[in-house]
Amino acid sequence: MNLRLFHRRLAVLMGLAGLAAFAGGAGFEPRSATLATIALGVALFWHPEKDLSDRLERVWLPLAALLVVRALFHFFVVRDDIVIPVVDLLLLLLSAEALRALESRNDLRLYALSFALILAATAYRPGILFLIAFVAYVGLATVTLMVGHLRRQSERHRIAEVPLGRGMLATTGALSGVILAVALAIFVTFPRVSQGWAGRGDTQVTSIAGFSDQISIGEHGSTILGNPQIVLRVEFPDTQPGNVGGLHWRGRSYDRFDGVRWIRSENVPPSAAPTSWYRERWSGEIIEQRIFGAALDERVLFALHPALVIDSDNGIQPLFDNAGDYIYWGSGTPAYTAFSPSGIPPAEDLRRPARGYRPSDDHFLQLPRQLDPRIAELSDSLTAGIDNRYDQAVTIRNWLQTFGYTRQLPATARQATLEHFLFERRAGHCEYFSTAMVVMLRSLGIEARNVNGFLGGQWSDFGNYLVVTQNEAHSWVEAWFPGYGWVTFDPTPAGDGTTEVFSSWFWPGRILFDGIQHRWNKWVLDYSVDDQVGIFAGLLGERTVDQGAASAPLSDERGPVPLGLLALLTVAALGVYWARQGGQRFDPSTQMYLQLRSVTQRSGIPVDPGVTPLLLVERIKNTKAAAARHAERVVDLYLRARYGREPLGDSDLREMKNALNATKKTLRSKP
Amino acid sequence: MIGRLIASLRSTWARLRAWRRIRFTSGGIAFTVGTVAVGFAAMNTGNNLLYLLMGSMLGFITVSSWLSEQVIRGLRIERRSPRAVTVGHDLCITYEVTNQNTRLPSLAVEISEDGLPDRAFLSHVPPRGHETARSLNSFVRRGIYPLNIVTLSTGFPFGLFQKERDVELPGEIVVWPRTDRPVRDASPGSGRTARAGAAAKGAAGSRGEYQSLRTYRAGDDSRDIHWKSSARMLEPVVREYERDGAETRWICLDLSAEPGEAAEVAVEVTASLAARAIAQQRPFALVAGDDVLEPGDGGGQLERALDILARADFRPDVPAPAPPIDPQACVLVSVDGRPGFGDTITVGREATLRLEKEDDS
Repeated sequence: MNLRLFHRRLAVLMGLAGLAAFAGGAGFEPRSATLATIALGVALFWHPEKDLSDRLERVWLPLAALLVVRALFHFFVVRDDIVIPVVDLLLLLLSAEALRALESRNDLRLYALSFALILAATAYRPGILFLIAFVAYVGLATVTLMVGHLRRQSERHRIAEVPLGRGMLATTGALSGVILAVALAIFVTFPRVSQGWAGRGDTQVTSIAGFSDQISIGEHGSTILGNPQIVLRVEFPDTQPGNVGGLHWRGRSYDRFDGVRWIRSENVPPSAAPTSWYRERWSGEIIEQRIFGAALDERVLFALHPALVIDSDNGIQPLFDNAGDYIYWGSGTPAYTAFSPSGIPPAEDLRRPARGYRPSDDHFLQLPRQLDPRIAELSDSLTAGIDNRYDQAVTIRNWLQTFGYTRQLPATARQATLEHFLFERRAGHCEYFSTAMVVMLRSLGIEARNVNGFLGGQWSDFGNYLVVTQNEAHSWVEAWFPGYGWVTFDPTPAGDGTTEVFSSWFWPGRILFDGIQHRWNKWVLDYSVDDQVGIFAGLLGERTVDQGAASAPLSDERGPVPLGLLALLTVAALGVYWARQGGQRFDPSTQMYLQLRSVTQRSGIPVDPGVTPLLLVERIKNTKAAAARHAERVVDLYLRARYGREPLGDSDLREMKNALNATKKTLRSKP
Repeated sequence: MIGRLIASLRSTWARLRAWRRIRFTSGGIAFTVGTVAVGFAAMNTGNNLLYLLMGSMLGFITVSSWLSEQVIRGLRIERRSPRAVTVGHDLCITYEVTNQNTRLPSLAVEISEDGLPDRAFLSHVPPRGHETARSLNSFVRRGIYPLNIVTLSTGFPFGLFQKERDVELPGEIVVWPRTDRPVRDASPGSGRTARAGAAAKGAAGSRGEYQSLRTYRAGDDSRDIHWKSSARMLEPVVREYERDGAETRWICLDLSAEPGEAAEVAVEVTASLAARAIAQQRPFALVAGDDVLEPGDGGGQLERALDILARADFRPDVPAPAPPIDPQACVLVSVDGRPGFGDTITVGREATLRLEKEDDS
């Protein structure tokens, strides 16, 4: 294939890879992306002649000018996001350059434009598609730059044919593996000295229901649909809890209920229990959870209740509000580590008479004004004879769990009430159960609140982490126990246990893909100085490093052999060996002639670079005539080897060596 | 002490530079600046993808450096060039390059030398392979051009940087003066009035009475090699024949002049006289400063004369030529003229090397 054509095609493929990388991050406005893809596709197979290329330029230039004006208009007048107009301009320029005549400088512009697309993609939080496109881009760039260089050199030196076999192309392509390895090494080791002032870049957020300041139970006439959108990925670095399906990933709490809606009061007084209660009085070991959340439109941090500490693992800033809920400040997706006790306080402790601080009655004993009196009567009748909060709560929970669970919403608005749920339908979804239990507890004088979050999740063996999707959105109840804080009760009975999506044929593939995506997020997008410390500690032989609150090593035991250190030393030794091998290689006669020059120089006779072999002998003769005869023989043999078109034989080399030694001896001797 | 230290540092720096040099191409400058900019952005934003991008750009630089090193480090180079060339003629220097690398080919290698305008280029040398490259150069001044360093350079694989490796290959090119300058016939007095010394005898030339044996010199007729004696003496020797001394044209070049165009014209006139003598199958001898070329004829004699003329060094304080025979039997070529010689060709201080114009006119 013609070298110029081949080079152009490679450059166009680089453009396509850049296009795909950008799509992996920010997506595309479909029209411009489609047009650019078509243009690049055409450029793979068709190239205009110079005249047509010049005429086409008359079309491209006004279009580019229009897009520049559009971008300026967006920026200065509309004050809208300028990225899309700029990307449209980039795509137009890319298409225009790809459809030009085969000239080197156009290809250099193609390099620059495709690189600009890659650069622009990094401003987003791209997924796996970016990784695939990036690897392809590096591979293509390796071959394209090499072919481009050979093309320019051959044109400059008017070489008609450059041998460019498939093997050579494959070898060069394989070099991209080396480039990626270097990139990886630098990526891993380059110190993350800054968390950055410009944030983590823009991210497309996922809309999620159930976590805004108001939620309603009054919806009717339809079915709750499944949504397999992944919202949380949770790793358990130390111990994996036994029943991951029963874990409650707590999000937000709601204190006021008006009969239809739950509301978060803006002025809720401090109602979080002291951390020391949870730390000292709750049972079970502390579970560490490394949580990688999706970017949601509500900035809520989810964790097992009660979260003793939440540490940010990336640029977000966790905040703790009066209700004890965690939210965060910062853009991008949250990655954080939470620590929570695995059990609740012993039942015996919770049954003791409740004395001590209680949160505000106005908020946590509040009931709707027109609450059906039958509900309070029902609560009283269920808990008659029970004198402690814990058993009252358990009794109500157990009674509610005798109801049925359905995702089918009530048919009419009249049926979408709490009374209808409790006394007629006796079936519903989690929000009915949690609302009913909160109202019944409050009617008994027990402070309670409704809590939204996620229940359980799907365990991914490919990566050993828990995948939580929007399907697992759930509501439950927290009841206050003085001296112990908020304790979780979940009155919702078990449903059929599965969602259609989890049993579908594509779910294993989805989990596999998500495993890759999770690793990408964890080890690339959210890679941090803590990860660096962990890796280096591992290289130096430390077995474990606590990623938790104290950030101190749990163990400073060192492994038997610091393999990382050995590897570094081996690499250094190989480097030194390689460098030593890089010396100049001369044939023996040249080496001996150079020795003669060196010896002569050391004996005090000036031998500047311009001194020719014959002049060297002349100078020796003028200074030390006795040495000149031997030196002349060395030079004779050297010139014979150099210009005589035949190598010196062994006897010649021996003679040359003897003559050189004699010269050395004579030059060193005192006059 | 400080001077010695500085000299030591300079020589160390020279050695390091000689080992390898890296020059940025314009693309390399843009790429490096881009890498620094991406790194700066990565550190300021904490964006890991920018770190990845910076890492891959550094990867390109690393691979470029490693591969260019592989391309030029395994090359062994030999220079083949004619010993001498005449001013204005093309000199074809041949470089024979062997790739000692057993796996990697060497691609896009340029070969250059200080003082030589043309560069040789090798597009491809296979592993363990051998290729030949040529550069065509011409010289406008006679003289001795020392060749010392051959520079192997390559921008392979990406053209971002030009890596250079110096290989010391001492040598020289003798650039002879032109021998085709129009000059009148010289008519000095008889050469029979020998003054003294070896030159009074007949000129050593070819095809006369056998005179002696001497060591072979470049340009001698190979038919004159005496093989038996060569075998006995372990070096080539040739027969010399005596010719009639009267036929010998003694040419003297007066070196007492300022270096410049006039001096060069004098050298070319001298060379042209020598060439004419050879064309007329007549022996000649040459005296230029302290150099005395004994009478002789043939192509070898002319080359020896041209070698002397290539090295001729003009200075105002150089004494007049002292030929071993009566100066009246000699032709003197001089810038300003000098009495006492049989014939004197004075080129004059206004003489110029624009011979083509003279030829045209």
